[in-house]
Order: sequence, then C-alpha cells, then structure tokens
Amino acid sequence: MEGYKPVILQGQQTNDDEILEKSPPIDASALGGDSSVIIMELLQRFKVRDVMKRKVLSVPRKASLREAQRIMRESRISGLPISEEGRLYGIVSVNDIILALDGGWIEESCEDHMATNLVVLEAGMPLSFALRYFNNYSYGRFPVLDSNRQLVGVISQRDVMRALLYELSVEIRKLERKTAAITGEGEPAHNVNYFRREYAVVRNDLSSAGHAANEIKKLLKEHKVDRVVARRIAVAAYELEINICIHSHGGILTLVIQDDAVTITAKDRGPGIADIEWACRDGTSTANDWIRSLGFGAGMGLSNSKRVSDEFEIKSEVGKYTRVTCVFRLNKQAEGAAQ
Amino acid sequence: MTIADVVVALNGKLMAGDGASPRAVGAVVANDLMSDVLLVDADDILLLTSLASDQAIRTAHIVGAMGVVVHNAKPLSETMLKVAGDLHIPLVSSPLSKYDACVRMHDALEAEKRA
Repeated sequence: MEGYKPVILQGQQTNDDEILEKSPPIDASALGGDSSVIIMELLQRFKVRDVMKRKVLSVPRKASLREAQRIMRESRISGLPISEEGRLYGIVSVNDIILALDGGWIEESCEDHMATNLVVLEAGMPLSFALRYFNNYSYGRFPVLDSNRQLVGVISQRDVMRALLYELSVEIRKLERKTAAITGEGEPAHNVNYFRREYAVVRNDLSSAGHAANEIKKLLKEHKVDRVVARRIAVAAYELEINICIHSHGGILTLVIQDDAVTITAKDRGPGIADIEWACRDGTSTANDWIRSLGFGAGMGLSNSKRVSDEFEIKSEVGKYTRVTCVFRLNKQAEGAAQ
Repeated sequence: MTIADVVVALNGKLMAGDGASPRAVGAVVANDLMSDVLLVDADDILLLTSLASDQAIRTAHIVGAMGVVVHNAKPLSETMLKVAGDLHIPLVSSPLSKYDACVRMHDALEAEKRA
C-alpha cells in the first residue's frame, strides 16, 4: 500500500491551486481512524475507479482559453483537463481564465498557460489513498489515470462521500437486520422494544439538510408516537441536524425509540464549543450570513432543542467533537393519538 | 379556511401539494426565521414566508403545517417544489407582500368567524 506515490507530470510550474473547490478536506484520520472497522474496511475495499466520475470533459492543447472558458461556464466546472488521445497534459483553471481575461491573452492556446505540475491519482489506488491525498494536498478533486497513464476519470471529495454514505447505509441495514434477528424484533415496526436509526449529516450539504429530521418525524408517526411529543422530537432533531450541517465537519444524527422514551443524539466532528453555557443561551450565535439566508443562525438551535426535551445533555471538546443528547419521555396513554 | 381558500384570498397559485386538502388553517405564522417557526406551539399552521428554500418546506413538515405561502411572487426552485410534493405540503406562491398577505389572511379569518 505504501508503494503508491503521487504521479507528477513534469512541466512548467504554475499555480494550480485555483482549480480546487473551496470545500474543506475530508478528515481521513476521523473517517479511517480507530472509530469504525466498517469504514476502514470500506476504505480499503473500494478503489478510486469505483468512485470516480468517468465522464471527463477535456480540450486539446491547441484549443484557445476562450474555448476552455466556454466549456467551463456551460458545464459549471472550475478546472478543465487538457488532454489528447487520453494523455493528460495539464489543467486550465478558473484562475488561469481570469488572468487571461485580465491580461488580454484569452484567445491564446491552453498549452501556453495551463498548469502542468499536476498531482494525479491512479485508478487502482485504495480509497484511503484518495482521502490521504485530499488531506495532504488540500485539493478538491484529482484527475485519475489508469496503468497506461491514460486519463480515465476525475474524483472529488463529494464522490468519495457519496460512495461512503451509500455503502454505510447498506452496512447499517445489514446490522439492523442482524439485530432484529438476534432480539426477535420484526414487523410491524411499531411493536419493537428497541428501534435505532442513524443518519449521516454532511457538512454544508444544504440539499440534504433537514432530510433526516423529516424522516425521523415520519418514523415517529409509523411508531405511533403521540403527535405532540413527535413534534417536539422532530424540532430537536431538525435543529441539531442543521447545527451539524452548518457548524461542524460532519456527523451522525441517531434516533432510538424504546417503550418509554425516544432519544435523539447528535454527534459531530468539528470545532467543538468552548463555552457551552453561552452557546445554549437564546440569541447567541456564530452563524454567518449564508446560514442566516437559510432561515437559521439566530442562536436558537441549542436552546430550542433543550426547551423541547425532557432531558438534555451536551458534551464538547474544543477542536474535536460535540455530542448532544435529547431524551423524550413517552406518555403511553397518549399512544394511538398519532397524527 | 382551506388551502384552496388561501389561494383565492392571497391571489395565489398552488405550486405543489394537494390543493383540495380539507385541512383548515389553525394559525397563521408569518416569519422568515425557521428557528422561530419551530417554537410556535399551534396546530395546522399556515406559514407565510419569504424564505423560498427547501428549509421552509422541511420546517413546515416538522411543525405539521397545513401549507406554506411564499409571498412577493418569489421564484421557487425545482427542488423546493419536489420537497413540498414529497412531504405533502401544499405550497402557494402569492404576489402580495408579507404585510398585505397578513392583512388579507386576518380579514378572511375574521370573516369566517363571523359567518
């Protein structure tokens, strides 16, 4: 495994940093550390070729920067590989385009202005290598070459995360089935004494923010949890999910339903909270304008979660994690009154 | 007052969800801050908001809202319409300002009480 080295296509040194997405690197040590055998196994089992995007847009060396700009704009990509017959010669970045527009050489060929000092991945590398590269180089994406040095794909952090989340959900389903078999649990779902579901929450993934809380509310209805209690639970789940999404580096939202209580746990990797008492007060927030544009960031998340919970606990270590646990006592007499 | 009545009262257009839903407006909440909406303890909320995003719909689902109105005829994204459809939240676009929409809803609900 240690034999893999980044492949450098030597050439003139140019600034290639601008082809990078602005997203922060995935924390490979957290994903592939001692926290999960399943994740470690996935990172080794999957190769870069299993995850990469195979459709790669490119232009030949003689294409003009103007042409590259048009393709990048229409395809909404921030970097365009320069290749001929599968051989990768360089990459033109948004920064190269901006410099060309400013300097008046936008009609010149890509060959004269592309970045050629490139770090690439090999298709057969384990996914753990891709994560290590994302960390070491802080790049958002890498070109992928096969064993014949042909350009065969591009891999981004989003591709890695999507694949991991999918495979993790498959593994979790397997574990749930095993647990049900061991404990004798089965359908109908609302008769179980113990029901657990986990949702991965990805940093800054706005397209999915709130999805877990919506699913949790549906599950609570299926389990015939009292409508008023279900709403309180869903509110806490939603606030905590948004917190993970916008404040942390990603985490897990967990729902546990038992006979007498429902527990929501939000655990994230990230900056942690230095002053928990301050963070739990109404109106205290570190949110930026982007978060506020979503309708959040007024500093009500933790206080709202605490307000609706019967028991509330928060633990955090600066620079490492935050873990919030909300417990809701179930009133058995109210069961059956679900919405 | 059902969502169909709301569409008429606010000169609106149903963009997603069931326009024939029989659920009646229990309370009207006009707010762009979703954390505030999550605090409201009322049933069958009609949410008036200028937040034209998925989060408005997701929040409405969490609090069991009977519908969402986005005012000022703000453009609604395809994903917002899809989330509204998936979560069965009627979504209405109205050309009125938030203030005018509130006044119209107040008048309509008062008229309903008197009837």
